[in-house]
Amino acid sequence: MNNKAVIKLFLVDDDVVFLKSLEIDFLQHGDFIIETFVTGELCVKNLSNNPDVIILDYFLDGIDKNAMNGIETLDKIKAVNPDTPVIMLSAQDKIDVAINCMHHKAFDYVVKSETAFMRLQKIITTIFQHKKMEKELNWYMERM
Amino acid sequence: MEIIEKRESQYARSLIEASLDPLVTISTEGKITDMNQATVNITGSTREKLTGSDFFNYFTDPQKAREVYREVFAKGSVADYPLTIKDQKHTDILFNGSVYKDEDGNVLGAVVVARNITEQNKTETELTEAIVFAELATGIAEEAQSKAETATRIAEDAVKSKQQFLSNMSHEIRTPMNAIIGFTKVVLKTDLSPKQREYLTAIKISGDALIVLINDILDLAKVDAGKMTFEQTPFKMAASISAMLHLFEPKIQEKNLQLIKEYDTNIPEVLLGDPVRLHQIILNLVSNAVKFTSKGEIKVSVNLLNEDEEKVTIEFIIADTGMGITENKLEKIFENFQQASSGTSRLYGGTGLGLAIVKQLVEPQGGRINVKSKVDEGSEFSFTLSFRKTTAEAETVSELIELDTEIKSIKILVVEDIPLNQLLMKTLLDDFNFECDIAANGLIAIEKMQTKSYDLVLMDLQMPEMNGFEATEFIRKKMESQIPIIALTADVTTVDLAKCKAVGMNDYIAKPVDERLLYSKIVGLIKKPALINYDEEKESEHSKKPRCIDLGYLSHRTKSNPKLMMEMISLYLEQTPPLINVMKQSYMNKDWDSLQAAVHKMIPSFSIMGISSDFENMAKKVQEYANTQHKDDGIHDMVLQLENICSQACIELEEEFHRIKKNNL
Repeated sequence: MNNKAVIKLFLVDDDVVFLKSLEIDFLQHGDFIIETFVTGELCVKNLSNNPDVIILDYFLDGIDKNAMNGIETLDKIKAVNPDTPVIMLSAQDKIDVAINCMHHKAFDYVVKSETAFMRLQKIITTIFQHKKMEKELNWYMERM
Repeated sequence: MEIIEKRESQYARSLIEASLDPLVTISTEGKITDMNQATVNITGSTREKLTGSDFFNYFTDPQKAREVYREVFAKGSVADYPLTIKDQKHTDILFNGSVYKDEDGNVLGAVVVARNITEQNKTETELTEAIVFAELATGIAEEAQSKAETATRIAEDAVKSKQQFLSNMSHEIRTPMNAIIGFTKVVLKTDLSPKQREYLTAIKISGDALIVLINDILDLAKVDAGKMTFEQTPFKMAASISAMLHLFEPKIQEKNLQLIKEYDTNIPEVLLGDPVRLHQIILNLVSNAVKFTSKGEIKVSVNLLNEDEEKVTIEFIIADTGMGITENKLEKIFENFQQASSGTSRLYGGTGLGLAIVKQLVEPQGGRINVKSKVDEGSEFSFTLSFRKTTAEAETVSELIELDTEIKSIKILVVEDIPLNQLLMKTLLDDFNFECDIAANGLIAIEKMQTKSYDLVLMDLQMPEMNGFEATEFIRKKMESQIPIIALTADVTTVDLAKCKAVGMNDYIAKPVDERLLYSKIVGLIKKPALINYDEEKESEHSKKPRCIDLGYLSHRTKSNPKLMMEMISLYLEQTPPLINVMKQSYMNKDWDSLQAAVHKMIPSFSIMGISSDFENMAKKVQEYANTQHKDDGIHDMVLQLENICSQACIELEEEFHRIKKNNL
């Protein structure tokens, strides 16, 4: 996996201020193609654009009660493409929220704070390391 | 012809002999008829012995070899059949063979080739091992990652609960200490026998030491938890420092030392910074200097190092002629619980936290601290700090006003629920010759204020019936009175202070109450009531008021890109007012879900727009409350404060937006 390869990110959050700040962060720290969505529905609709990683807010149905929440969105994404890594974001620093996300096959869970971006960056690096390891393993398996 | 044939057959033979794979011909009965050198080598036998012997005997599994033999003659050929040769090494081979016939098509025998695959097998085994290792490594890596994540979470939780514990503990200890120290002071003023005086002085000194320790621990805990915040308020540097050095005068006289002050008059009069923390730094260093010096002088110098249009860099030097520090201890003295010699604490007291705190206070503000010392000659601590310049006027400087007997007939209302503290305050105020009434809670206080006029209110915060915040709010909003109110607080966390200001209190004083400080604050406020009124402030000049937003973070994140900053700000301005409305509405309608959602959505924006983390914490509390619906009287306040701060942020951001726009046209 070449680090210079462009990574396509989906950012999903109903908090447009935070969404924008994340987008700015990512655009300034590497080669990313970024698509942002303010609802889970929009994100799921655009899954055909094949994102490499999705960063998804946990609490999407806060203001609009009928909106799809983070976990539902996560489930939908996993149903369409189980291999797309999804990182959950939340302002709540609660262990049960984190566990819930993990049970729904989220790759990781990050609390919104000033350090959120740094954590996300690290996790994305981990995701690609992970993928690389899996690839190598498959390569070996094929040659057995 | 014959010669050519012979030559060809010799050539073929040499090729066969040269092969490294064993080649054997066998008869239809399974007897070896011919072989090459490789066969001889691998079996370790001779050509004579091999010829005519049973082919099957040379394999570990003769039964299988026999099957191969049958297959060759039945099908005419066999390919890649695995067998093992019975030699010293048990060489693994792949067996290939085909029959040969005479001109008439009768089968004469079979030619078989045994390919040595030991190397191949070895490679395969290694590959398998490598894969297993790779899988294991992935597993271990995943495990390590999840472990590290759990550990981080646990550590973060631990830090939080430690902070909570320390701040609770400090509160719980301060309240009784307040009474102990206060009454000791009161008793010390009565007629005492020399012995009694000595004992009481000991109690007071111990109490003071304990308070210092509690403050130190609380400060360090704050630093550890990353909660140490530095204010940017306008203050008068020279006045602030001389007022503080004033505190040391009795002690310095007592020890017969000399205090020399040097102040660079080029330093601007008013600067932006955190005077409380600066006090704390100098206080720690000077009290160390006084403590460790038995004769000679203590010199405090304040020099202007650098000045540009925006800020000044100031160097502070505190030098003494004390015992000094040995070179090998110099590096360590800024660590927690370190003193220059292990016997020091027994001789001079102290916890060894002072210098650690000083370092923790200087460095996060971008300053540097240094120490030079010679044993028996003295030590010199110096630190540098930068302060922004400002055109704003300094707020009430906590100058210690000398006890002034002229001010009399001042009527003070003390609002305090704990009888011990009531008595203590009354004793202190009687001492100052002030008239004093006591109210046990906010409600009683308001009743009293309606029947009698007072000059000042001392207001405890935690009280039954109506607490200090509610009472102040009532006084300011309903009674529309601008009477000076000083908060009495045992818990000096910044959250409380922000809250005090927000409801309209003029000042605060920490328990245990320092009588000089109390006096100077009372007199100061009565002489010139400088009420911090938020409404007024909003209308006042842009440069004068302390701003609630700080675009430092945003500008850092966007690399000061004006377009991105404007985008962010306009998004905030779009999103926030509806959120404020939802928050207000849902709080009034007791729609906890919506309240939680609205506040939840606000939380990340506080740090993005550089609004004090106090408000972020407040929002988190409101969210928690909405979640559990746990009854808390403070929620109303907090919702109000959040509304205020967000509205103010919107106003300031709008200005910012236009400023950026104008500058980048």
